[in-house]
Amino acid sequence: MKAVKTFLLILVAASFAGAADDCRLASGWKPDGPSRTFTADDLYEYLDGGAEGYLIFGFVRLEHQTCAKGADSLVIDVSEMNDPDAAYGLFAARRDPRQPLRRIGMGGEILPNRASFAKGKYYVELTAMPGEEYRPTLRVFTVALEKRLTGRSTPPGALAWFPRGHTSVRLIPRSVLGLRPLKRGYVAEYSNGQAFVVTEATAQSAAAVLAALRRRFAGAKEAKVADEAFEFNDRYLGGVCIFRKGHYLGGYAHLHKGTEGVSLARTLASRLP
Amino acid sequence: MTYRSSRRSFLTAGVVLPLTGATLWQETADRQAASSASAPQFSYRVLGKTGLKVTTLGFGCMITSDAGVIERAADLGINYFDTARGYQGGNNERMVGAALKRKRASLVLSSKSGARDKQRALADLDTSLRELGTDHLDVWYLHGKNSPDEVSDELVEAQQIAKQQGKIRFAGVSTHDPKVIVPAMARKGVMDVVLVTYNFSMDPGVAAAIEQGNKARLGIVAMKVMAGGFRERPGRGDSGTREKLKRAGAMLAALKWVLKDRNVHTTIPSMTDMDQLDENLRAMAEPYGAAEEKLLARQLDFITPLYCRMCGECTGMCARGLPVADILRHLTYTEGYGQFALGREEFLKLGPAVAAVRCADCERCTVQCPFGVQVTARLRRAQELFA
Ligand code: SF4
Ligand code: SF4
Repeated sequence: MKAVKTFLLILVAASFAGAADDCRLASGWKPDGPSRTFTADDLYEYLDGGAEGYLIFGFVRLEHQTCAKGADSLVIDVSEMNDPDAAYGLFAARRDPRQPLRRIGMGGEILPNRASFAKGKYYVELTAMPGEEYRPTLRVFTVALEKRLTGRSTPPGALAWFPRGHTSVRLIPRSVLGLRPLKRGYVAEYSNGQAFVVTEATAQSAAAVLAALRRRFAGAKEAKVADEAFEFNDRYLGGVCIFRKGHYLGGYAHLHKGTEGVSLARTLASRLP
Repeated sequence: MTYRSSRRSFLTAGVVLPLTGATLWQETADRQAASSASAPQFSYRVLGKTGLKVTTLGFGCMITSDAGVIERAADLGINYFDTARGYQGGNNERMVGAALKRKRASLVLSSKSGARDKQRALADLDTSLRELGTDHLDVWYLHGKNSPDEVSDELVEAQQIAKQQGKIRFAGVSTHDPKVIVPAMARKGVMDVVLVTYNFSMDPGVAAAIEQGNKARLGIVAMKVMAGGFRERPGRGDSGTREKLKRAGAMLAALKWVLKDRNVHTTIPSMTDMDQLDENLRAMAEPYGAAEEKLLARQLDFITPLYCRMCGECTGMCARGLPVADILRHLTYTEGYGQFALGREEFLKLGPAVAAVRCADCERCTVQCPFGVQVTARLRRAQELFA
């Protein structure tokens, strides 16, 4: 039994480490020290306070490798997450939303000294130092690493739920809109507000969450969207319209003055499966 | 229905709202907030030699994703907010800046740089100021320094330059090893504030170091006040116990435990939602008593298999001569404070004879920890990491 376990561990480690352990994906680069693996228990050793930002997304482990070419150094971090949605979520949380989104895996970005992308359940981050401009090198590494990683290259289906015009879509791993009952979901940024969708396990649990929110925002008015809905104004959330469609909870928040929340919410509801 | 704009949209549009009594508490959510946190009571302390009067509950913005929570905290009266250049890939500072823009002048805002040289640190500071939308930081920390050598002369010089340029008001250092850093900074006299890991699970030496820092008039800010024991660890199968303790109020108890130490001036727990904010606000008004003591004892039991109190009771018990408490302390550098290099360096200082021992070679362990620390498992972990 022990032998089988050891074999499986080696197998898992080998398939995972394959993405990070070879600095020779670009010519002239070689490993600078051994690779290291961090799990949820010891990620703090490496990322200090930043580890929390990984853990809340559903982090499994991170393979870390430093590469060197002359005076330049490149850090390759490949994080395995619970699932592709978590990998995309971490990517979206850490990317600079002002920069263009690139078609690398499920999505990626290449900045002068940093690149990142998500593919399958992996999130990859590359950091080059000490110069200012490493884009050509980062491009070579990202292309090669992307090829070596297995898994989905299409972004999470949830992204397609949001109507066009958003500047970014993020997975919020905890307390969507800063409201604890909305446990985990996607938020899309628009120039006139934010759209969100939270998926509950069942229609009943979704109804219970909606009822709890309705109690919380006592002055809310009923609205006609999907199965049930209400809307209200809030000092911190701005104009809000929340609806339930089956086991989905969705809606808009932070709506600007004069924005028609109900019609926006209806469009969003119509796009949900 | 059309909507009034949220504070957030005003901020993004750059419109300044007048803050009058009439504009406060006018919406539906405010009724909810008023019922759960009506007139929260604040306690204040002076942040050491800075002279800044800070609320004992501050706000660690690290994992917050909705700016509204931060904004509401500021509106309610919390006045100390902390972020860092590296949080959320750099996105955290931008969100914090937008959330606090309206009240910036009345707040104490801190950020950090993990850079190891002067030039990069100063470049980080300029980026922080730009992203936060402010012309100065109240406290600028050197991020995660766990040995006095890491607080290098050139980094201290960077802080002095930044002060002269008016980009920061006070200099600080953040650490996971208060026992080493606080006394060192108290002696060195170049820092105004130290940001330290401090919680109920730590040994009394940490409290003594903090007291020393306070006596030297250093501002003391506590982080990781919940002891990390509430952290989710996928696959550990411990979520049932953890959830029960959380529901029973162990997090609030942990916060109260830190606040009862008058040598601590403010705390920066991470907060992700309004409920957590309301709960944490109670720590400033409610006493730490027997109920909290009991809850934290249960929490300590929960984390005990991993947690060595460094009491030294096991000295001389190892049949192969291992200095158990020392090795576990070095493991703590790594696992608790994020300092792998320091942990390994200290472990290797114990000598080749110690580094050569493998607990796996023993049939039976002769060490018995009266506190239930799983000594063999922990030492094997240290040997795996360092030896
Ligand atoms: S292992 Fe146990 S006995 Fe030894 S120092 Fe730690 S707490 Fe004390
Ligand atoms: S298992 Fe480790 S700690 Fe226990 S007696 Fe053997 S060497 Fe010492």
